[in-house]
Amino acid sequence: MQKPSILFTGIFGAFAISVGAMVLIPHTQLASLQPQVTWDEGANSPSDIYPHERSATGREVYVAEGCFYCHSQQVRDPQYGPDTERGWGSRRTVARDYIYEDVPLLGSQRLGPDFANFGWTAKVAQKDGSEKTVSMWRNEHEDDSKKPAARNERWIYQHLYNPRTLFSDSKCPSYRYLFETKEIGEKPSPNAVAHNAKFQIVPTHEAERLAQYLLSLDRSHELKEAPTAIKPKEAKK
Amino acid sequence: MNATPETTSAAQGDVTRSDHDVARRDLENVERALIDQSARGPVLTFFTTAIFWLLVSVVLGYIASKSLHAPGSVMGPEWLYRLLHLERASHYIFDHLTYGRVWPAYTTALVYGWCSLAGMGVATWLIGRLTRVSIKAPAVLQFGAWFWNAGVAVAVITILCGYNSGLEFFEMHRVARACLFIGYLFIGIWGLILFRYRRQSTPYISVWYLSAAFFLFPWFFGTTEVLTSMPVAGVMKNIVNAWYQNGLFNLWLGCIGIASAYYFIPKVINRPIYSYNLASIGFWSWIFLGGLTAMTRLSGGPVPAYLVTISIAASILMIIPISTLTLNFVRTMKGHTGLMASSTTLRFTFVGTIFFSLAAVLGVVSALRSVDSYTHFTAWTHGQMHMFTLGFFSMVMFGAIYYITPRLVGCEWLSRTFMKLHFFGTAYGAGTIIALFLFGGLATGFALNEPTADKMGFYNVSGIANAYMPVKTYIGYVLFGVAQIIFAFHFLLMRLRIGQPAGEPTLLATPGEGH
Ligand code: HEC
Repeated sequence: MQKPSILFTGIFGAFAISVGAMVLIPHTQLASLQPQVTWDEGANSPSDIYPHERSATGREVYVAEGCFYCHSQQVRDPQYGPDTERGWGSRRTVARDYIYEDVPLLGSQRLGPDFANFGWTAKVAQKDGSEKTVSMWRNEHEDDSKKPAARNERWIYQHLYNPRTLFSDSKCPSYRYLFETKEIGEKPSPNAVAHNAKFQIVPTHEAERLAQYLLSLDRSHELKEAPTAIKPKEAKK
Repeated sequence: MNATPETTSAAQGDVTRSDHDVARRDLENVERALIDQSARGPVLTFFTTAIFWLLVSVVLGYIASKSLHAPGSVMGPEWLYRLLHLERASHYIFDHLTYGRVWPAYTTALVYGWCSLAGMGVATWLIGRLTRVSIKAPAVLQFGAWFWNAGVAVAVITILCGYNSGLEFFEMHRVARACLFIGYLFIGIWGLILFRYRRQSTPYISVWYLSAAFFLFPWFFGTTEVLTSMPVAGVMKNIVNAWYQNGLFNLWLGCIGIASAYYFIPKVINRPIYSYNLASIGFWSWIFLGGLTAMTRLSGGPVPAYLVTISIAASILMIIPISTLTLNFVRTMKGHTGLMASSTTLRFTFVGTIFFSLAAVLGVVSALRSVDSYTHFTAWTHGQMHMFTLGFFSMVMFGAIYYITPRLVGCEWLSRTFMKLHFFGTAYGAGTIIALFLFGGLATGFALNEPTADKMGFYNVSGIANAYMPVKTYIGYVLFGVAQIIFAFHFLLMRLRIGQPAGEPTLLATPGEGH
């Protein structure tokens, strides 16, 4: 038999244990987490700080559109799965990677690929400029005919506007409403996803910020607690 | 010991029926009817609005499911929109209804709309019955119910328009959260006040679970609200979010569902629950362990490893509450399963408890690291969620609503065919949805985790569950949805007092028919 007094004491006890173990203890531990600073003795100033405080980009668009229901932003240790083998990152991500994020968008589903390092994996192709270069890290098969040449801003717009034009059975939604139709001035904008003689479809400000956000995602920095687990494919050769 | 849920007197054990006993029983029946009447207003409000949200969530669930195999398609007959000159509007609307907006709207409508409101309705009625007090000032509860509904409405609409907090199952806009919380305070505090005036000194098992649910919910909700609004950044918010989701399912919905099953199973078969000691072990282990299983949601993630380890251990220990609960229900039902053929309430409730056991066992298995590494990040976890909300919780709630409503409106359910169709559609529809989430999740899990060279490009992985998805939409959600439309219609008839004359409950089969 449960006396009401015992009942309520017990229920409160259950809550206390739950909140203590699952919330308060990790909170005391994580609250003190600071960025990793490498000190340059000679110049007597920090030579390297990670992570940097991010300036707000299109993160709100990413959240509002619920990209995180399909795209995770966490790279797991190789013992959990082939995240690094896929080239989603050079190492697992750790708590320190997220200290400046209001709500880290870790995600709980991977209907689409992980974005923890989207910008970083796309970088090589970008700087290089040559459309033939593929990103260094993505471990897509050489003969994969669908393998994109570059994952730069223009490619992202194409993908956002209609992923099915790039991958015929993609499940990624098309975000046509993040684009607008404008009259062409002198010549079509390089970012236009489509145009005819008079009109072009160009990304809105939101789409631009979203693309910037994706390209800013980079958690590749070497950390004490998470050493690089895998070397880039090209480097192996 | 306790014979039926409402009476604790030891006299129930012996079967001598003196005049005195008969008189007392009559008195009890009158008292019960009075208590039922006092609960009428708020409970019917809870049920009606819950069923509204059930229909909303089925439509949203259908759209979300469909947008995974036919992204961007317009729902419904396009020629109709063309006829009504709504083509542009329909395209505009359906363009915006992308998965990332519809999915959270769906889960919000399902969990906060249907599940929570139905649960609070059943709980209100149960509290009245089990504490033997009539509901005083029911307007307070009504008020709370409408606040809660306003919260859900604001939440669903803002999410569809593109607001999201980034926290799963807590996506709602701040205004919506405030509405939910205020609504809850009216309902919960009123429940506790009624509990103080109880005339039944030793609380029955269901009361333990209801106390836990109603006491814990505001703590989980409030703690999450405070911690996620604090300027602390980083994965702590994900940890709080995982902890909240776990509490929402195990301790809020879980406890209400179990409370309802503990009441209706012995009630319908008119037999005491098999063992009080088992119930006691089950209860305490459920609420203590149930609050610790949260972090399997983050296994492998950027959180302290010991958190995940504790949660895995707690998940494995969940075997204790699961087996005691299952044993207790099954042993109580032993020799009475035949009644499931005739009693709608029993059929829904008992099938619900079976789903409960399955969902809980699945929770244990999926917590194991070797299994988790395949099922994490896949639709498998959605399968678990649906097993809990559609399979277990909804089933148990339907059983309770079938029992309670006639006692409030004064007539019996009109049609046994409707009930049968509802059961059939719910069981098979939910079963299909759950099975396809699970299989689809497993299929992608293997491709995710053991990529062959061609599966390294993720665009080659996402097509894997293709075969499963249309079946989930067109069979699962359609069956489930049609069943709920029938149910809603049937309930509407009840509210209009169109039904069988009060007295004998409408049974699925006349007893003696079949077996
Ligand atoms: C229904 C789930 C879903 C949602 C929601 C979703 N995506 Fe996707 N996304 C996918 C799938 C599946 C793929 C893989 C197929 C492909 O590349 O098109 C993908 C691929 C991508 C890619 C290409 C990745 C690569 O490197 O190959 C980008 C970029 C992308 N999504 C951006 C977004 C953005 C931005 C959002 C939010 C506005 C979003 N996605 C929302 C499912 C989704």
